[in-house]
Amino acid sequence: MNILVTGCSRGVGLEICSVLLREGHTVYGVARSYTDEFIALEQQYSGKLFFKSIDLSDSEGARKSVFKEFITNDVVLHGYVNNAAIAYDDIVTNLNLDRLKAMYEVNVFTPMMITKYAIRNMLLHKTKGSIIHISSISVHTGYKGLAMYASSKGALEAFSKDTAREWGPLGIRSNVVVPGFMATAMSASLTEDQRDKIYARTSLKAATSVNSVAETVAFLLSDKACSITGQNVHVDNGTI
Amino acid sequence: MEQKILEIINEIRAAKNLEPVAELKPETRLREDLALTSFDLAELTVKIEDEFDIDIFEDGLVSTIGEIYAKLA
Repeated sequence: MNILVTGCSRGVGLEICSVLLREGHTVYGVARSYTDEFIALEQQYSGKLFFKSIDLSDSEGARKSVFKEFITNDVVLHGYVNNAAIAYDDIVTNLNLDRLKAMYEVNVFTPMMITKYAIRNMLLHKTKGSIIHISSISVHTGYKGLAMYASSKGALEAFSKDTAREWGPLGIRSNVVVPGFMATAMSASLTEDQRDKIYARTSLKAATSVNSVAETVAFLLSDKACSITGQNVHVDNGTI
Repeated sequence: MEQKILEIINEIRAAKNLEPVAELKPETRLREDLALTSFDLAELTVKIEDEFDIDIFEDGLVSTIGEIYAKLA
């Protein structure tokens, strides 16, 4: 399968690429930065992993940068993994509209535009494709300082559910993976105390495994998940 | 260009087990006269875009063949 993965250069995105490549798929990775870890993966899977540096805060340019210059109609796209995101953490009374809009560009508007053109590619090739959005446990369990970030991920969850209903008749699936807190750059700004409190709320009392999240994404992309659509799959160490 | 549009529309109709149409007139309506659904129109858009590199639904709805011709002119 040919899979588009955004935010591929580090953390969960990099692990998703790694799992998909191990399974024999071809991965089209998009991110701002071209990291040493990604380059190492490229060398290991020469000819199966492609990269384009794209600024995903430019939702208007997404069609051109992603679909005109990278995944053209000659590429039969089977899956789209929307993983790229930025975090804007603060309490609500400090909300800064410009920062909120900038986060929505990356977390919501660009993924929606990419979904539009990914489905168009699937329509052209009559592909029963699979779309996966990476959300966050903060949509389902409240945390101080994450209201704005959680709202952007909540928007994706709603978008995914209705995309699933709309395109299900053509066999196109859309699901969300909801990770718990992971030890990635995304949560690096948290203090140790904050982190411990977050982990204490989980059943397994630990950080969510990045590999478990990536394996779940790979499963949802595969035919093994052919009857799963419109779902939010929690990979969160039991944050209940 | 008009011949290509006719081909694409008949391809979509064939997949729905509908008879091919012999000709298209500018006033031919996509939904009512050609029995195209919103999914069919999405497929039509994608195929036209692949052929002519123009998104006919970019700025609003298109309801007749004449409107498609105008976008591609």
